[in-house]
Amino acid sequence: METTIEEIKEKPLKDRIIDFIQKDVPDHLDSFSYCMGATPLIFFLVAAITGVLMTFYYIPYSEKAYESVKAITSEIYLGWFIRGLHKVSINLMIFTLFLHVVRVFITRAYKTPGELKWFFGVGLFFTTLAMGFTGYSLVYDQVSYWGMTVVMNMIAEIPIIGSPLAYLLRGGSEVSEITLLRLYDLHTKLLPLLLVLLIGGHIVTITVLGFAKIEGREGTHPFYPDHAMKVGLIAIGLLILMVNIVTIFPPTIGPMADPLEVASNVAPPWYFSAVYKWITIAPRQPALFGILIFSIVFLSYPFIDRFLTERGFNMERINIVFGAVAVLAFAALTLWNAL
Amino acid sequence: MGVINDDISRRKFLSSAFMALGLGFGLGALGLRFLQFLSPKVTVDRFEEILVGSISDIQDSDITPMEIGNVRIFLLKTDTGLMAFSRKCTDLGCLVNWDKARQEFICPCHQGVYNRNGKNIAGPPPRPLDRFQVVQKGENIYVKVRVA
Ligand code: FES
Repeated sequence: METTIEEIKEKPLKDRIIDFIQKDVPDHLDSFSYCMGATPLIFFLVAAITGVLMTFYYIPYSEKAYESVKAITSEIYLGWFIRGLHKVSINLMIFTLFLHVVRVFITRAYKTPGELKWFFGVGLFFTTLAMGFTGYSLVYDQVSYWGMTVVMNMIAEIPIIGSPLAYLLRGGSEVSEITLLRLYDLHTKLLPLLLVLLIGGHIVTITVLGFAKIEGREGTHPFYPDHAMKVGLIAIGLLILMVNIVTIFPPTIGPMADPLEVASNVAPPWYFSAVYKWITIAPRQPALFGILIFSIVFLSYPFIDRFLTERGFNMERINIVFGAVAVLAFAALTLWNAL
Repeated sequence: MGVINDDISRRKFLSSAFMALGLGFGLGALGLRFLQFLSPKVTVDRFEEILVGSISDIQDSDITPMEIGNVRIFLLKTDTGLMAFSRKCTDLGCLVNWDKARQEFICPCHQGVYNRNGKNIAGPPPRPLDRFQVVQKGENIYVKVRVA
């Protein structure tokens, strides 16, 4: 039904809100692979709440940091549960983000007018990974310390902006308690703010530009109650899943950071282990350059797609091949690293 | 008429462009100050010779790590004489260990390997281990390191 601006302005606020939440969403959101975008959001909310709770106990200062995480894990009442939920939700958030990205990529949902959604999404993806890295650093165990050292030196290798940026993040030329405080600020203030803005941008562009269109599935249903109920059910299911994972695999903590000794089993979390394996096996400069190029291609993919489509390439097929290769390479490197 | 109108719009355009430029500079300068506040203070490098032991302490068989100032080193006899190697891996900054069995320095982070003379022989490290100057005065051995 067509409504003019005047009609909308005349409507009382209550009706406008009802209109808004009853906005039609396309039927294809009913199938699981198409509602993968809402799941990271659910995990994000859990991570945000448990994260804020933990800031009441965490102390961002070298040994104190480690001791406070240890206290949260083993002394404070239900501390293990809160920290466990935080960890599990982040892990699942990153996992579902991976799935969401793959789905969007394969179905080419970033096509015009979806570019903006893609950019916000890529920003979200990288910011979430940055949250993962900074979060791991705050524990201040061996993985944190040597992870910080290596990642800061990797950042320093970025052409031009790299070394000042690394210097700024580290707060000096060496990883120290200044670095910890900076990463703490990033993890608990700046990056969450950025995430919320990006999530907002991602969702606003979806409501303004509409969902991706899928051939042959043009039906719609209202957001509320149909879709909201479904997402609610998924949320409850995920919450049950998370609680179970936490109780079966409660969080642990490694040995405390020791600037004088690298433990032999310093391994990053699973979502970084593919990159970790990659920089271990490939020569340094090409390896880092490869990561940079991959990120740039990833970000600008809607344009690359358009460019190639105009020249008659069958992007549908190319994307399937490209996506499959990327997923397989990621899986292979991750498994290889685990061996 | 048209000409006058054009002039006005041009003047308008110029004045708002000028204001935007000023605003941009002002905010930019403020932002720069914020960044400067965050950037760590630059320390001037100072080198000092630090006594690490006497020549008779240095054994061929076991190579032990030491920490002098804030610098972690290995002091050992190489093919070309006494050397003080930095333990900092030249790849991405982890610490190398001495592997007695293999007679090599190993970096556990990405399996970088250096031989006894500090040369990078396998893995990602792009160059040999950094060295510090070793000074021998009589029986005593000094290593010249950067102190903060
Ligand atoms: S940091 Fe030593 S091999 Fe990478």
